[in-house]
Amino acid sequence: MKEILQKFFKIDRRWIFLLLAIVLFTPIIRPIGLPNKTIARDTRNAYEALDKLPKGSFVLFSLDYDPSTRPELQPQATAVIRHAFRRDLRVGVVTYIAGSTGLIQQIFEKVPGEFKKVNGTDYAIFPYMANPTAVMTQMASDFYGIYDKDQDGKDARSLPVMKGIKSYKDMAMVVNITGTSILDSWVALVGDKYNVPLVAGVTAISQPGYGPYLQTGQLKGLIGGMKGAAEYESLIQEPGKGTSGIDSLNLGHLLVLALILTSNIILLVIRYL
Amino acid sequence: MKYNRSIFMLLPLLLAAAPLNAAKPAAPKAPDAPLLGVTAADMPYDVGNALLLRWPVNPADDADASYQVFVSSQENGGWIKAADFAASANKGKDIDLPFWAWNGGAAEHAVKVELADFFGEFKPGTVFGLKVAALRKGKQYAESEPLKASPRGNWFRLDRLNNLLLLIVIVVVFFMAVSHAKRKGLFIRRIAGLDAIDEAIGRATEMGKPIYYCPGIGTMSTISTIASTFILGEVSKKVAQYDSYIKVPHYDPIVMTVCKEVVKQSYLEAGRPDSYREDLNYFVSADQFSYAASVDGMISREKPAACFFMGYFMAESLLLAEVGATTGAIQIAGTDIEHQLPFFFTACDYTLIGEELYAAGAYLSKEPMLMSALKVQDFGKLVVMLAVFFGAIVLAAGTWLHWDSFVQVILNLFKAY
Amino acid sequence: MKLIKKHIPLAIVVVTGLFTVASYYIPNKTSVDYLEMINKWENIVSAFAFLLGLISLFYSHFSKISRRTDGWGYSLFVFIGFAAMVVPAVLMHGKQMEAGQVTSLGWAFRSIYNPLSATMFAVLAFYIVSTAYRSFRIKSGQALVLFVAAFILILGKVPLGQIVWDKALGWTHYGVDQVIEWIMSVPAVAGKRGIMIGISIGTVVTSLKIIFGIERQYMGKD
Repeated sequence: MKEILQKFFKIDRRWIFLLLAIVLFTPIIRPIGLPNKTIARDTRNAYEALDKLPKGSFVLFSLDYDPSTRPELQPQATAVIRHAFRRDLRVGVVTYIAGSTGLIQQIFEKVPGEFKKVNGTDYAIFPYMANPTAVMTQMASDFYGIYDKDQDGKDARSLPVMKGIKSYKDMAMVVNITGTSILDSWVALVGDKYNVPLVAGVTAISQPGYGPYLQTGQLKGLIGGMKGAAEYESLIQEPGKGTSGIDSLNLGHLLVLALILTSNIILLVIRYL
Repeated sequence: MKYNRSIFMLLPLLLAAAPLNAAKPAAPKAPDAPLLGVTAADMPYDVGNALLLRWPVNPADDADASYQVFVSSQENGGWIKAADFAASANKGKDIDLPFWAWNGGAAEHAVKVELADFFGEFKPGTVFGLKVAALRKGKQYAESEPLKASPRGNWFRLDRLNNLLLLIVIVVVFFMAVSHAKRKGLFIRRIAGLDAIDEAIGRATEMGKPIYYCPGIGTMSTISTIASTFILGEVSKKVAQYDSYIKVPHYDPIVMTVCKEVVKQSYLEAGRPDSYREDLNYFVSADQFSYAASVDGMISREKPAACFFMGYFMAESLLLAEVGATTGAIQIAGTDIEHQLPFFFTACDYTLIGEELYAAGAYLSKEPMLMSALKVQDFGKLVVMLAVFFGAIVLAAGTWLHWDSFVQVILNLFKAY
Repeated sequence: MKLIKKHIPLAIVVVTGLFTVASYYIPNKTSVDYLEMINKWENIVSAFAFLLGLISLFYSHFSKISRRTDGWGYSLFVFIGFAAMVVPAVLMHGKQMEAGQVTSLGWAFRSIYNPLSATMFAVLAFYIVSTAYRSFRIKSGQALVLFVAAFILILGKVPLGQIVWDKALGWTHYGVDQVIEWIMSVPAVAGKRGIMIGISIGTVVTSLKIIFGIERQYMGKD
């Protein structure tokens, strides 16, 4: 008996990989429709922060994620941008991750059309920039010192959406969706220094790390992982990719719990029985 | 301060507003009566693009009262509305400046007018006109005389004095520690992860297999990356002494350039410049997961004897460490990204936490000058500990006893402006 | 030689470092302009550094191919991958969409880069699960505390877990989300704050070491 358990204890990890793959794939092929019950406080705060901005306010989106974290972050970005358009906010998009440009493109191929928003008038997308810290500092004094043209090469100053926007103090909020540490720079170099309200969306893996910023109000709200995306989608009542991933997420978490419990029970049996 | 005289202007205003206090429905006073006591000046401690307007609070102001601020760049006319707010807003105490740099209270209005919002770029020394209008139920009943003021760039952020003083104290302690270290050695506690470096390199030499050193995905402005280059220097010195073989895959080209210099120097110091090769450091990818995939591939193909993961790591930490663990390499990791530490703990033999990583360079090199910096770190921690401990007690007591201004002073002292 | 290799770089570090620190306390336009200039320089330097990286990448893989070292075939993919992304980018002037149509660059991005990159991050999930199974074992009192906290956190992350919690522990009138919020905002934040403060102090001291030239290994010692 103990030998079998010992063997089970040191099981080839590829079996676990296989088990996880099955658990994740099944609900994708055949959705179960598990409920998304609660909405986290931080997601609600993010929603409310954006929701109470007056019409026509300018919100700067810094979408800094590449295809690797796309399944978690793209649904978040899509949901928040939908929310912004629905509230008739002006949207500006910047990015410091080269791989993000294509993903931004994919969002804006679809979402503005749903709300009849026009490029240049209601939103503007700016080109990729390397070296985020330098760019963030520069934007504090003159946005156009860095972004003199939008992604399509149009003069940024003359875009109707940019009317009256010169630096952070003209912006109602900065939304940073990222799987990188760029969020730390936004908090330290922009949020704190120039008193710009900051809302963020991050991967589930890095979500616990931002607790202190939430507590001090340096972040007004935080959307975490695919669950956060699903929560935001349910807040704006537009189910999307986030909601559809909830089944897999649910079962995946339960598998982890089951595995941890199993390994500990085996440990107990081997040690004490 | 000249602002204080505005307090004395309160009286006429009080008198002027007196009829409003009567129970009768608020009949506006004679239209366009002058609003007194308004002063305009340069906004202190700024780059020179804002002006500051101050005037005493009218005690008769109620929920219907509001003010409008106008600004003009012309000699006559050309007024632009710069602010429109309820009488309860924009008090002197609302200006976010500490007590040593600002004397505004609740008895006056203070409005910061950002000129760049209305006039864009302007020449230094430009004189602007300002005036304030008082309104009741949206109707103007009084207006100030037009005032002139010119903004100028200031040379010191007095509000950051607390920060500057702290910096000076740290610098002084820093130099004291350095000079002390020159005279006398300093004790430093054992760090198991660093003692294991010798063992790891020895093992690699015996097995004739390479050592992988990943400096992570930080740039040269990340402190953990800088610390990592220090450790790389010491590790590669030992590698050169043992005549083993090190490989350093890079994420950032600037870090690569610096590391090349560091490794080269170490080989020189170890007396083995002939063993040094330019391709020990090589660039892999500036994309996080491409980097992880590539390094994972190399580790699983070459099965190194030891892997070092020192520096700035995000989600790739487990991808790298787990693959390294399956090849059976001795793994030593170190990062200051605390939410990646659990992954390193589970997959590596030794893990340096945050500051241990910073201390590693000093620990390995045993240079007294570098070790002295650790003392400064300890001093800093002591200051923080005392400040947190006594700050919490004093603030709790102050709040409990309603010593509001005392609490405000403490909060100001510890705030970053 | 010592002047060029040691004294001049050190002087640049000291002067730039002190100026940048001073600019935090000087609000004047001169100091703002200085910061702006330094930022622009940094941007330009990092752009050129990429070129350096590219040369290093090509050099190391080219030499692997020409020396036919073990696994040289993989090195071919560096060049194939590079061409697959760069050639369409140049041909399409960096545009992924043109007149409502996905260009070849758009295709390369969506069909090559996207899935490859997503796969790598997805692998993480498999590693985490297998690591959790192998490492999350209660071998001490502290591990038990960790286990309980992790168990509640994972349970609370899934709606199904929330339902289970409500059924089993509903009588306590503490929702699992309240417990999680407490764990995340009290013990977790306390620990993280401690580490953050330590790291910040370490950052200040390391910066001082560099600014005052005490630590200069990064430029070679002599």
